[in-house]
Amino acid sequence: MSALRAEARTALAIARKDAVAELRGRHATVSTLFFSAVVLLLFGFALGPDSARLAAAAPGLLWLAVVFAGLLAVTRLHLLETDDGALEQLALYPVSRRAIYAGKALGGMAVMLVLGLVVLGAVGVLFAVDVASAWLPLLTTIVLGAVGIAAVGTFYAGVTVRLRAREVMLPLLMLPVLAPLLLAAVKATAAALAGDPFGELGAWLQLLVAFDVIMVVAGAATYGYLLED
Amino acid sequence: MTDAGFVIAAYAVIIGGLGLYTVTLWRRLNSARRELDRDDEAR
Amino acid sequence: MKTRILGFAALAAVAAMTAIALFVVPADLNQGDAQRIMYPHVASAWLGYLSFGVTAISGILWLWKRDLRFDAIAVSGAEIGVMFTAFAIWGGMMWGRPIWGVFWQWEDPRLTTTALLLALYVGYLLFRRLTDDPQRRATRAAIVGIVAAVDIPIVHFSVEWWRGLHQTATIASPDRVLNPAAPMIFVGTLLGMLGAFTLAWGYLMIRRYQLARAELAREEAVRIGRLEDARRGVARSEAAR
Repeated sequence: MSALRAEARTALAIARKDAVAELRGRHATVSTLFFSAVVLLLFGFALGPDSARLAAAAPGLLWLAVVFAGLLAVTRLHLLETDDGALEQLALYPVSRRAIYAGKALGGMAVMLVLGLVVLGAVGVLFAVDVASAWLPLLTTIVLGAVGIAAVGTFYAGVTVRLRAREVMLPLLMLPVLAPLLLAAVKATAAALAGDPFGELGAWLQLLVAFDVIMVVAGAATYGYLLED
Repeated sequence: MTDAGFVIAAYAVIIGGLGLYTVTLWRRLNSARRELDRDDEAR
Repeated sequence: MKTRILGFAALAAVAAMTAIALFVVPADLNQGDAQRIMYPHVASAWLGYLSFGVTAISGILWLWKRDLRFDAIAVSGAEIGVMFTAFAIWGGMMWGRPIWGVFWQWEDPRLTTTALLLALYVGYLLFRRLTDDPQRRATRAAIVGIVAAVDIPIVHFSVEWWRGLHQTATIASPDRVLNPAAPMIFVGTLLGMLGAFTLAWGYLMIRRYQLARAELAREEAVRIGRLEDARRGVARSEAAR
């Protein structure tokens, strides 16, 4: 039992380390948020000006913006390691690989959560969607989506971080895997905003939970192989 | 295009593609084996 | 030698089944001649999925046994899988245009899942090319392949739900030929085509595996060659001193 607690402590320590580094730098968080805002603006230009069409498309646009900004965010978190060989040092510690993965994913999750909330608010404003009335299911969806994107993103960022052509490789590998998360999150968001007329919200949230669980397990199980090389 | 056109397009690409892949695979295999033989002789 | 026999058998079978599918089997009552596309389309799709299963399992076996032959199997499965999956999508599009009126639509869960499958394994193949060290490459490819394989059932499930919740008029289904009530001659032709394609698959897998082994041997030889050059260079500079 204490072994598990030690792992948890390690994971939190890593997450805290990342958070401190991130807060000190702060460029990445701000630029990522700004990037998502720009993406939303571009969506407005591309699909507007019909506000009815934009409001209908809002759930999809929300999650597309979150996913794209998420690509930047997870790359950022792993770059923190490679810039001074910290990843190799991390691998040398007698720490469980799962704990390292969990720590990095936790950091990613925190970033994605902030991102999701900010984008949710921006979408509410830009596309005239009432996000306040359905705040609980929307918040749940954002949390579940954040976990999934962080889990998958941490994994693939680790996989591509030392490769050439990684700027292209990360999205290319990560985005297809995220397709079911995107689908479920968008459907859940749309259902929540509409007041769940068909009672499908629960089903989509369950799919998100299943996705999250599977991906966290897969990521944790295989992350160790990444660090060994 | 009539239905026949689509059928032909489908089969041409699939069966033709199989053949094309097979032929290129042969060439890649022969080329790789030749390089190995050359290495063995050089040594 | 046995492989060559397999190759000839595959060639004969594919040629025969193509002739049967195009000229012998009758056209479908509802879908007409376009239904003939289903035979190679379905066969390609199944072999695409089979290939990727082989890739995923070989990846796991590599991680477990550390035998590079498993990685050779994995890359063979991925390359051949990409080919068959591309065929399946092409067949689906050629069927879709006359039947649905469009080359693509989002309601069919298998079409969208298969497209994603293609994306995942093209990514896998591109990803492999970025690492030169065979062991590292095998390990990285294995974990990417495993996560990709794990994603596929999730994708399929979610797209099924997506289609199910969408209230639209019924769209003609591509797999009437798989329907248990379908006439025997259709089912027989499909199974025959599947068998012929599987023979071809087996032959191509063997040849691609041989290619992978040869390339591994070449890489090894190049590395040894460089080591010897380096050693000779060191010896020369020592002698010069």
